[in-house]
Amino acid sequence: MVPVAQRVLAVVFVLALAVLAPGPGARGAGAPPTSPDTLVILTYGNPESLDPAYAYDTASDGVFWPGIYETLVTYDGSVLSKYVPRLATSVPTLANGLISKDGLTYTFPIRQGVRFHDGTVMTPADVRYSMLRFMLQDRDGGPSWLLLTPLLGLDSTRDSKDNAVVTYADAARSVTVEGQNVVFHLKRPYAAFLSILAAWSFVLPEKWAAAHGDWDGRADTWVRYNNPKLQDRYEFNHTNGTGPFRLQTWDPQNNEVILIRNDTYWRAPARLARVVIRTVAEFAARRLELQRGDADVIAVDRPDQNQVQGLADVTVQDGYPTLAVQVLHFNQKIDATANPDIGSGKLDGNGIPPDFFSDVHVRRAFAYAFDYATFIRDGFRGKAIQPNGPIIQGLLGYDPTLPKYTHDTQKATAEFKEAWGGKLWDAGFHFTETYNTGNASRQIGAQIIKDNVEALNPKFKLDIRNIQFSTFLQLTNEHKGTLYGLGWAADYPDPDDFAQPFLASNGDYPKRNGFSDPRADQLVRQGAQTSDPAARARIYRQLTQLAYEDVPGIYEAQATQFVVMRSWVHGWYYNAILPPLANTGMDFYTMSKQ
Amino acid sequence: MSAFIVRRLVLLPVVAVGVTLLIFTLLQLLTPAMRASLYITDPKQLNALPEIIRKYRLDQPIYVQYGEWLRQVAHGDLGWSETAREPVAAAIRGYFPATFELAVGAFACILVVGIWLGTLSAMRKDQVIDHLSRLFSISGASLPTFVWGLLLLMIFYGHFGWFPPGRLGLDADLFVRSAAFHPYTGLMTVDAALNGRWWVFWDAVRHLVLPVATLTFFLTAVLVRITRSSMLETLGTDYVRTARAKGLPEAVVVDKHARRNALIPVITLASLLFVGLLSGVVITETVFNWPGIGRWGVAASQQLDIPAVTGFALIFAGMLVLANLCADVLYAVVDPRIRLQ
Repeated sequence: MVPVAQRVLAVVFVLALAVLAPGPGARGAGAPPTSPDTLVILTYGNPESLDPAYAYDTASDGVFWPGIYETLVTYDGSVLSKYVPRLATSVPTLANGLISKDGLTYTFPIRQGVRFHDGTVMTPADVRYSMLRFMLQDRDGGPSWLLLTPLLGLDSTRDSKDNAVVTYADAARSVTVEGQNVVFHLKRPYAAFLSILAAWSFVLPEKWAAAHGDWDGRADTWVRYNNPKLQDRYEFNHTNGTGPFRLQTWDPQNNEVILIRNDTYWRAPARLARVVIRTVAEFAARRLELQRGDADVIAVDRPDQNQVQGLADVTVQDGYPTLAVQVLHFNQKIDATANPDIGSGKLDGNGIPPDFFSDVHVRRAFAYAFDYATFIRDGFRGKAIQPNGPIIQGLLGYDPTLPKYTHDTQKATAEFKEAWGGKLWDAGFHFTETYNTGNASRQIGAQIIKDNVEALNPKFKLDIRNIQFSTFLQLTNEHKGTLYGLGWAADYPDPDDFAQPFLASNGDYPKRNGFSDPRADQLVRQGAQTSDPAARARIYRQLTQLAYEDVPGIYEAQATQFVVMRSWVHGWYYNAILPPLANTGMDFYTMSKQ
Repeated sequence: MSAFIVRRLVLLPVVAVGVTLLIFTLLQLLTPAMRASLYITDPKQLNALPEIIRKYRLDQPIYVQYGEWLRQVAHGDLGWSETAREPVAAAIRGYFPATFELAVGAFACILVVGIWLGTLSAMRKDQVIDHLSRLFSISGASLPTFVWGLLLLMIFYGHFGWFPPGRLGLDADLFVRSAAFHPYTGLMTVDAALNGRWWVFWDAVRHLVLPVATLTFFLTAVLVRITRSSMLETLGTDYVRTARAKGLPEAVVVDKHARRNALIPVITLASLLFVGLLSGVVITETVFNWPGIGRWGVAASQQLDIPAVTGFALIFAGMLVLANLCADVLYAVVDPRIRLQ
């Protein structure tokens, strides 16, 4: 009789064989993809919402745009300054008369015969509804300001006490239907309007939305649908666009989104039948799946790049400039109330006065003290460039010949000696600079400025404090920041999206930092309202020069990006505005596996 | 016995209220702005912070927030989890089966290997098998799970391609999402078997192998050592000597007389191990991309997702009470001398 242990072993062996049998074994170099019509993307960001009027994060936007929802016009591949029609049949220009001479009216002839994923035909009324919904839904911290600003001249539908400050009539007048056209009526000329619409004019069907409990498009009901919570909208996890893919599943528990091809798409159907987007937190697992060919594109952080370099049948394309900038900000009007970061609050060597950074010599001294090359080497592994102001590479008006600060201890010392009427050098200072917890590159930037400034004079003391992100934002909003690191990424590829928040006195950062320069205000306004690209470029060059002279912040770095994919993936192109899913954005329509 | 069980079950709501109240109190030590971090992801949302605090009532006193939460719970609503992007109850229902499947698989292996190896070590005290067992236990417990996990993953997936990470392969994953597959329990192996889809079953088993092996290797150590010492103590007792003197076969002496009585501390430990596994094995779940409750719990804690953390704690407290109850019942089963009064 066979002993029990041997019988158990035999059963285990048979089971093991049965389990192992389906194993694919090692895939040889050059082998074809196992699922040639399915693109598998592994990333580490979860979508927040699939509602195009709610989502304002790249992990969400990257899922639905441009795959599920389409815009009226869009960028011409990688070229951000050129547009091609999408749900409109023409790109409005002054030349074709679809932009009025005063720059206040944009007319979009709407494409006929386009169907939503539920089979219904898209109408100009749906386009209008979608634009009004985008503006009037206006959730806290959402994207609605992008249309509210050019169309209504406001950045919110509510005041600080949550009272409505727009009326339905105002909104309705700003977007009208004329036959097969949808016409936008701007509050004032806004040169970036087309580039905003190229990324933020998603269209969904009015009847479908209303049938699922969303706003019905009526004047007397919109307030009820204003500022929703995430879960309040059916569109949060249901989609109905016109794009080449439709949503099959969004499974937040399994961290997976599956898109399937829209076979009735108005252009030729996509080559891929399916796109699977999975969140895999662990880099090693992502890398192994890429190596095995079970994943086609994966997210890789810069420090891990070496681990995918040289993998067989894996392509790493590097050096794409992002439209984002890292900045060290000077707060020129620090709120001293219960603020531990300014020490004594006086220029006595034990603190700083609240207006410490209002002296341009102090700001210039810090700008000269910062070691840009070290920051780029340590913070970005050398994969970044030093910008010369808020108008970064890739934007209209960027000019690499304009001056920028370099690490120069002699100039830094000279500026410090001039600061505060010569008192600063003798008195010294002591304050705390801040950054948000967990941001490694900002931590490196903070350490560099601390080390370099302290090395200039033993009476100069800087402490570093990291603060949880939301608290950090609140403190800077309450003018409690001193010198702090915070960045900006483009919503649309126009210099206005950088000039306004960095240099206009009502912009995000100037408001926080007490920066105001009437020359900058005038130039930002002119830049926004001028339609001639050459004239605009001149204006933004002037603003870059002005930022160099005023030094409202230290423009530390503009990172470059890379993408990692199997060599069998074709048709990908880089577009700096497409929301990054796995390092960069992806237009699934043009992609295939061969 | 039944009175004892009822008494223990009555304790459940008391523990639940205590735990949730403790969490609410601890969270009040954080400022409303910190708790608003859940809704803030970008500097562009800066100006919205005060509105967000107002909208989600983060500036309300603790008794208001807790009272509201209790009212919701009374209506069967555990609140909305921003990290899960769904109601807390749905999130628990969704995440728990994956963890349960992993926990049961790992627990079974841990029990079998732990008790078998512990017994063997005790019977072969200071012999080669005992030393090997010690080596196995120490090496398993001394290296972190993520090291074992990654090593196993690199060898058995990266090199051989046998056992992939995740819960299912692409084909099986697409199939279980189709109308042809009915999800009965959320347990992939069970559902596949109930649907009669054996290729899905084997695919699910393939995905279970490495996380189960990792957990088994890591967690068996304590059980082996406890079983060994308990067995050594029992093997030296008078009744075991008597059994041997009666001429009973060694297998009977060990199985029926010694091991059964040595199981009391093992049961205590095993119940705690099982609860630990059920509450989530975060690192293993992360390394193997296993969509379990542990990863969600950690993400919710990191992002101060109060409804999720509270709901998670509530469920965990319940599991702990039930596990202790099971352990108490099992004491009586394995050792009739124990009377539950």
